[in-house]
Amino acid sequence: MPALDPLFVLCAACVILPLLSFGGIMIFTWRRPFLSLAVSLTASTACLLIAWYIFWQRWGDPTPLVLNVDWLVSDLVRVPFGFLLDPVSQLMLVLVATISFLIQIYSIGYMWGDPGFGRYYADLSLFAMAMLGLVISSGLLQLFICWELVGLASYLLIGFWYEKFSASEAGKKAFVVTRFGDIFFFMGLALLVIFYGSLDIASINAAAVAQKMEPWLLTTCALLIFGGICGKSAQFPIHVWLPDAMEGPTPVSALLHSATMVAAGVYLLTRIFPFFAASAPAMTYVLAVASLTYVLSSTVGMVARDIKQVWAYSTISQLAMMAMGLAAAGLAHGTLFAGYFHLTTHAGFKALLFLCAGAFIHHFGTNSFFMMSKGGAKKLTIPMVTVTIGALALAGIFPFSGFFSKELILGNLWHLDNKLWVGIGLLGAFLTAYYTFRVIFVLLFPRPEGHPAWEKYYEPVAGGHGHGHGHEEEEAHGHGHGGHGGDFPGHAPEWAINLPLIVLAGVTIILGFLQGTLERFLLGESHPHEMNYLLLVLAVGLALAGIALAWWDWGRKGAAWEGFLSRVPALENFFVQKWYMDHFWRWFLNAVIYNLFSKTFTYNDRRVVDGGVDAVALGCIGSGRFLSFLQTALLQLNLLFMVLVLAGVGIYLLMGR
Amino acid sequence: MLLSPVVGIAILLCLKEEQRFLIRAVALVAAGISFALSIYTFAGYDKELGGIQFVEKYDWVQAFGISYFVGVEGMNAPLLLLTGIVIFTGVLTMWELQHRVKEYFIFQLALVTGVFGVFMSYDLFFFFLFYEIAVVPMYVLILVWGSTRRIYAAMKLTLYLMAGSGLIIPGILLLYSSSGLFTFDMLKLHGVPFSPWIQNIAFVLLFLGFGVLAAVWPFHTWSPVGHVAAPTAVSMLHAGVLMKLGSFAILRVAMYLCPLGFQYWAQFMALLAAIGIVYGVFVGLAQTDLKYVIGYSSVSHMGIVSLGLATGTVDGLNGAVFQMFAHGVMTALFFSAVGFIYDRTHTREIHELGGFSRIMPVASAFFITAALCGAGVPGMASFWAELLVLVAAVKVFPLRGLLAIAALVVGALFALRVVQTTFYNEPNPKFAHFEDVSPFLGLPRMILIGFLVFFGIFPQYMLGLIKTSIVPFIQGL
Amino acid sequence: MPAFNQLNTYLYLAVILFCLGLYGVLSRRNLIAVLISVELMLNAASINFMAFNRFLAPHPAVGQIAALFIMAVAAAEAAIALSIIVALYRKLKSINIEQANELRG
Repeated sequence: MPALDPLFVLCAACVILPLLSFGGIMIFTWRRPFLSLAVSLTASTACLLIAWYIFWQRWGDPTPLVLNVDWLVSDLVRVPFGFLLDPVSQLMLVLVATISFLIQIYSIGYMWGDPGFGRYYADLSLFAMAMLGLVISSGLLQLFICWELVGLASYLLIGFWYEKFSASEAGKKAFVVTRFGDIFFFMGLALLVIFYGSLDIASINAAAVAQKMEPWLLTTCALLIFGGICGKSAQFPIHVWLPDAMEGPTPVSALLHSATMVAAGVYLLTRIFPFFAASAPAMTYVLAVASLTYVLSSTVGMVARDIKQVWAYSTISQLAMMAMGLAAAGLAHGTLFAGYFHLTTHAGFKALLFLCAGAFIHHFGTNSFFMMSKGGAKKLTIPMVTVTIGALALAGIFPFSGFFSKELILGNLWHLDNKLWVGIGLLGAFLTAYYTFRVIFVLLFPRPEGHPAWEKYYEPVAGGHGHGHGHEEEEAHGHGHGGHGGDFPGHAPEWAINLPLIVLAGVTIILGFLQGTLERFLLGESHPHEMNYLLLVLAVGLALAGIALAWWDWGRKGAAWEGFLSRVPALENFFVQKWYMDHFWRWFLNAVIYNLFSKTFTYNDRRVVDGGVDAVALGCIGSGRFLSFLQTALLQLNLLFMVLVLAGVGIYLLMGR
Repeated sequence: MLLSPVVGIAILLCLKEEQRFLIRAVALVAAGISFALSIYTFAGYDKELGGIQFVEKYDWVQAFGISYFVGVEGMNAPLLLLTGIVIFTGVLTMWELQHRVKEYFIFQLALVTGVFGVFMSYDLFFFFLFYEIAVVPMYVLILVWGSTRRIYAAMKLTLYLMAGSGLIIPGILLLYSSSGLFTFDMLKLHGVPFSPWIQNIAFVLLFLGFGVLAAVWPFHTWSPVGHVAAPTAVSMLHAGVLMKLGSFAILRVAMYLCPLGFQYWAQFMALLAAIGIVYGVFVGLAQTDLKYVIGYSSVSHMGIVSLGLATGTVDGLNGAVFQMFAHGVMTALFFSAVGFIYDRTHTREIHELGGFSRIMPVASAFFITAALCGAGVPGMASFWAELLVLVAAVKVFPLRGLLAIAALVVGALFALRVVQTTFYNEPNPKFAHFEDVSPFLGLPRMILIGFLVFFGIFPQYMLGLIKTSIVPFIQGL
Repeated sequence: MPAFNQLNTYLYLAVILFCLGLYGVLSRRNLIAVLISVELMLNAASINFMAFNRFLAPHPAVGQIAALFIMAVAAAEAAIALSIIVALYRKLKSINIEQANELRG
């Protein structure tokens, strides 16, 4: 046994500790909330320290370190269990560990008094384990395994309030829809194993760069794997699970569905970026899908009324933007830095936005930001300030982190021959700024009492457009307080909610200026960044225009709280219905899966297969009935018959001789 | 190992019906001994050495070349372990039985004797003898201790399996008579180069005959009905172990003795298997009885086993054997969880149940674990098995392999649908007063989960063992 | 007396005996009578055995063994048949063969 690098021991600890914490809580301590909290938090802190230690230890050392041990060896399929430490994975490691640690702190306050407190922390630990394992895995198959585990953790967390139908439904939807993407991923992996023979990330990347792979294989596998990315990172057309996933507790939305888990898809794209970049058709496809998603989610975000829904759609759009940046870089032989940098900054400010939303939801017991505004959201100083910082970053305003990363991506798009892409990027930037500040202005400037706008926005939350879950969530909370009050002394600690907000806001402000440092860390060198002033002005100008429009529609004193879209009702309705994508999938599920296949097959099973068997059985019984008429119960008649037959046979035999 | 259930039966025969506790204790000890022995053979098997170990061989009827020949090798050791696990947990699961306790355990142990015998025999005659011993007690067990439509189910099951046997006997006799060796010893028969047409006929006879027990589509309809009617532990044994007899027999007898026949029919086998996989999940999607749902998931999972066998590659066979083990433990867990709920509520209609996570969190956790395992979540044993089989299948039969992969989505939908309707949402007030699993009754379920997770995290421990016999097996084909 | 020393004589005797027994079995309604007729048929078979043994068989003892065997079988059969008849009588209060018709299809 060779001497192990202590770094790898730490990596292993990073994966194993949360797993132990999950197992320990599930088996032993799930009835005792504080013990579970302590276990989970210990594991999480240890991971945080390890991640930063590794980051610090390997700073400025871009050579990848790989260690593999055999996990499963069959004939063709060999699954190594190993770690790959290179700048890409180290940065993500730090990111995931930090955010999941912050979320665990935040959840102390948010989940205070919930009957499932222990289970909640167990699930968070499972998620941390899966995600950390995903980030530092050395082979695609191990990555796939962790990928599925991440999906599992997300299923458990989305459906955390399982008594709510919508929550359990959303959890199921998330799992099944991402699984739908994963089968493509799996097919891609299977093809790679069969035709290339290895799933080692480094080896695949090297082979793609050296053009050792057949082009058809490369493109097919890249497209199939992108199917998996679509599922996890919520790209068109299987993005539908992400908005529904907001049914989970808000910290979960922040952790999984904005900062880390959904970023896993983009992370994978980054991870095997050379592989993807080697296939131009695949990259074009990625670019097209991402652009479509970008436009779709931005437009839907403009009409959503639930604060988490808005952030959810903005997440989808930002993920699409990362994918666009990576795809453009791949087409133009650029580097992965732009997309990856956006992933990093996005993780920071999106977690911030969600946690702020959580703070509001926790305080007001509703998800509609109109209702929050009515309740006096602007009096919560810390969340209000931080949410504004996050929104500025999301809109891409200097000097917040989003500005820098978006600028890079737009720069990448600018390099493409077809200027359509950069147009879409700019349009998206404009829309993003608009819908973000719609939320901010509504929160900041409530209309006076009796304003007609209140009537319009009062009701829809409860039923309306299918995304008003606020009340139910509140109920679940209320129940928690009532049912388990004994275990939880007093009220939730306020600092637990505020501390992560402040930390993340700080990160959001600082991170942008670290661009050069990070680039040097990731790529080993920092290009002097040539500024494209036309683009810069265009982008910032459009973002400011978006904010201005939002101000006109929502912020200024006399604003009627009518989006400019309401002048085109058809279009608005189209956006409110989320481009009918949910309807399409619902129809698909009902009509094709349940009715066409399931019903037919069941009918076939009952009637044809089983019926056939029963028919044989009945046939036997029937023929038995028929033949039983010969059984006359006249013994002597039977005997006579027997004798005659025997005699006949005897005579025949004798004569035959 | 074979002996301990037999001794258990003998002791049980001497006991009176009134001595319930003693009866259970004896059954438990007998099962426990087989469990311990099966672990011993599993762990004590020397992987370096390979081949058949723990051999016992006695001549019985020399004139016909029948000998009692049992042994353990890499491909049956996991299945012996599986049987040990399931019988032990099965006895624990049925601890609350009140009706005709003595007869019940006698039949159950008899069944297990047969199963152990089949897995270990290297003599065709004894193989078939034990096979029948394993099948017949099912009839009585379902008929006497069963529930919904038990007479119909018991009759259907027995007739189906007998029809299967009706195909097997000609197959075996064909091989026996055309070998010219007058021996039932499989190792010797394996050396005989049968002519292709004999192999073709014998293979299809054996495949269909054993396929009935392995619930190969379209001969699967007995299995859901049987599961539904059978009492809990019998369902566990039935789905967990008995169906494996069929697929194991296909591997051990049909493929081993007729390699050419196997190559001739492999396409056909793969087709049936792929249809079974897809078909099982879709039909299961429309069921509303918990046990029917699980029954059809078994059809689908056994399809994966057959698909793995049909590939005829090392990966595929490894995966198939692994899947037999994983699916066995998983379904046993499924049925024991359902049985617990059924014993309390007397309904298995998923729409009537609901919110059980609130009422009995531990019992639901068992079921959810099984469901997730069924959906192929990594970290559980069945994930690895499916991985191996599907990769092998994509390689050998690309279209059917991809179809099977696509069925995974529906499989996930299917598992989660049941979990959602049964365990989530608002609890049904009718059942709100039930208590959760006691630690004692939780024990067998914990054992099952423990094995699932253990082999999910350390698959190599099992796979290394399976491989020792699969690799020479493939070379022999 | 050549007639007594010929095979055919004994065969004719056996045939006549057998046909009498067969007729009895087929025509009598009384179960006891049927049983007696069956015994007649068995005896016919015994006679055949002895006759073939006497005139044709190389080894003198084989046919006699068969005859003894038949007697033993006949005794067992009579015992069983009589017990069946007694059981039947208890149930039907009659030993008329036509009344035992419960198995009619």
